[in-house]
Amino acid sequence: MSDVLLIRETLRSWITERSRKSLPSPLLDDTALIEQGILSSVQVMDVILLIERMRNRPVEVDELKPGSFRDINSIVRTFFQGEA
Amino acid sequence: MTEQNTTTIPGLTWYGSGQSALHGDLLERFRQIDLMFVRIAESFRATDIALPPLISVHQLQKIDYFSSFPHLFTAAVALDPEEANLRLFKATAGESSNGLQLTELAPVTEVLVPAACYPLYIHIQGTEVAPSAIFTTRANCFRREKEYVPLKRQWGFTMREIICIGSETEVRAFLDSSRSMLNRLFAKLSLDVSWEQATDPFFDPGTNPRYVMQRVDPVKFEMIRSGLSIGSVNFHRQYFGEAFKIEHDGGPAFSGCVAFGLERWLWALLDQFGSDLHRWPDLSAEVVV
Repeated sequence: MSDVLLIRETLRSWITERSRKSLPSPLLDDTALIEQGILSSVQVMDVILLIERMRNRPVEVDELKPGSFRDINSIVRTFFQGEA
Repeated sequence: MTEQNTTTIPGLTWYGSGQSALHGDLLERFRQIDLMFVRIAESFRATDIALPPLISVHQLQKIDYFSSFPHLFTAAVALDPEEANLRLFKATAGESSNGLQLTELAPVTEVLVPAACYPLYIHIQGTEVAPSAIFTTRANCFRREKEYVPLKRQWGFTMREIICIGSETEVRAFLDSSRSMLNRLFAKLSLDVSWEQATDPFFDPGTNPRYVMQRVDPVKFEMIRSGLSIGSVNFHRQYFGEAFKIEHDGGPAFSGCVAFGLERWLWALLDQFGSDLHRWPDLSAEVVV
C-alpha cells in the first residue's frame, strides 16, 4: 500500500471508529466531516494529534485554515502535501 | 474613587472603571441605533424577551465558559452572611485604599452576563422549539479587558441580539437574510463597514477545541470598522442545542445569532460623521426597511 493510501485508510478507520454518528459505509474521502456532524470539536483536536503522530511533526495553528477538515481529501491535502 | 470625565463628545461621560454615561442628544441617538435593530428583529417576527442580569455559574459550566474565557468574566460576589464575618467586614471596610477589603465570601454562584444570548438558551433549556423561533433581547454585558477605551472597549456595555433557533436550514437562512439587511443598512447610512471572518476571544486558544473548530469551520463573521468589531453574525451549529438540551425536530436544535455592540455602533457613527449629531444620517427605524 502506498503512503497516501495508508494515510487515507488510517484516517478513515480512525474516524469511523470514533464518530458519534452512525456513518455511511464505507466512509468516503469526500464525505463532509464537520458539516454532517461526524467530527465534533474535541475530535478535531484528536485528529490533529493523530496527524502529528502520523507525520511525526507538530501541526501549527497557522496551518489550520477554513476547510482543512472538510473531508479526508482536505485533511490529506492540507497536512500531508509532501507525503501525498 | 471612580474618576469621571466629560469627554470632548457632548453627551458622553467616561468613568475610569471602563463604563460610560450617555445623556442628551447622544443618548437619543443610542436609542435610535437600538431601535434600528429592533426593527430588523420585528421583520423576522421575533419575540422580545427581557432576561436577568446574573447568570448561573452552573449553567455556564455546561458550555465550558470558564475554561474558555477565564479572562473575561465578572463574578457577582457577596460576603458570607455569617454574623461574625459581617462584623469583621464592617470593622475593616474602607481601610484599604486599593479597592474593597473583603472578608469571607459566600460561594460564587452567579456571574454578570457576558453575552446577551446566553440567558436565552438557559431560559428555554430542556424544551422543544417547534417550529423554529426567533427572539430578540438586549442586555447590559460585562467583560474584563486589559484596557478600556470610551465606547470602543468597556467593562460594562450594551448588547442587542437577534437569535434564531430551529433547523440548520432555517438558521442559515436567518443569518443570510440578516446579513443582507445589514448590508443594505450600511449602504443607506453610508457607513464604511466590512465583513471579516473571526474567532471568539478564547483564553489560550491553541489548546481550545472550540477555537480550532472556529478556525477550520468559520462560523463567526464580524462587522469591522477601522479594525474594531461593532457586531457579528454567528452560526453555532448544535452547540447550544446540545449543551442546554434544546430540541428541534427530534434532535438538538441548531442556533445562530446576530449581535450588536450598541456603544461601538455609537462610536462608529461618531467616527464617520463627527460629534455634530445634526450631520448624522437618519437613524429612524424606517431606514432599515
